[in-house]
Amino acid sequence: MNLRLAIFKPMLKIAMERTGHGAALGFQLTKVGRGEVEMTFPYKEEVIGNPVTGVVHGGVIVSLLDTCCGCAAITMLTSAAVTPTMDLRLDYMHPAQPHKPIYVAAKVYRDTSNVMFCRGSAWQDDPENPIAHCVATFMKVETPRISLTNIIRRRFNRLIKGDKAFEQEANK
Amino acid sequence: MSDALKLLQEGLVKARAESSPQQILDLIPYSSFIGAEAKVEGAEVLYWLDRRPSNIGNPSLPAIHGGVIGGFLELSAAIEILYTLDVNEVPKVVDFSLDYLRPGRFKTIYANCTVLRQGRKLVNVSVTAWQDSPDTPIATARCHFLIT
Repeated sequence: MNLRLAIFKPMLKIAMERTGHGAALGFQLTKVGRGEVEMTFPYKEEVIGNPVTGVVHGGVIVSLLDTCCGCAAITMLTSAAVTPTMDLRLDYMHPAQPHKPIYVAAKVYRDTSNVMFCRGSAWQDDPENPIAHCVATFMKVETPRISLTNIIRRRFNRLIKGDKAFEQEANK
Repeated sequence: MSDALKLLQEGLVKARAESSPQQILDLIPYSSFIGAEAKVEGAEVLYWLDRRPSNIGNPSLPAIHGGVIGGFLELSAAIEILYTLDVNEVPKVVDFSLDYLRPGRFKTIYANCTVLRQGRKLVNVSVTAWQDSPDTPIATARCHFLIT
């Protein structure tokens, strides 16, 4: 593993697991390599999609695979850039079983100068028998917004102004 | 018939009778997890998702999590089926294809659905999401559901 990734890994883990929707879902990044990411999602009753069977909603699988593929895409970057998702296609092979964790893995299988192609799968008992499979494409957009100094500046602004800072950023 | 299924079907009948798709959303825990809401507007059902910190994906922008947008659209499509069609069990999603057109900024997302085709087993639904105006969609999705 190279040094960049060694520093980047804990940052990515914190950003994904402790903020926003990642924190709400409560998954863990179990493996972060260059172009390869794995996650575990423990079963949660708050995200049930079918009240009759107790199976989690498909939207959770979308979030997990989107996050996992997105993380895999980020690990490929060599400059300050963001990787917005262009499209995501999901095939649900069979319903998830309730009360069991879901494992997710994603891999970047082709990296070009502007676009990254990624695939991922989610399973419970057997990785060979996935509950869902996805392909996703990501853009590479270079931006100074995510340079370390700008992130620190925004964090500081939010600390002082709280919710108002979000409003200002949203209206920019 | 299990109690949960009975409860769901009674809820569906009541929601349709009272023209209240929100009552169907209330039956599904995931909808309150992300905060999805719905109401009848004219001949259509309008779905919306108010902004909340737990739906943020990229805290440095801040932008709504792409997965939340996807989950919200998939949920809207399922509710559209349960509310407008004569389907009495939660439809099973088979595939879901999502195109992100613009970043989802930290404000309310609206969505509406169109059932493109209803067969005996399969339903095809297309969903569009927007923030400022329906003319500038932030995402479109297309999904297939199995119905019983």
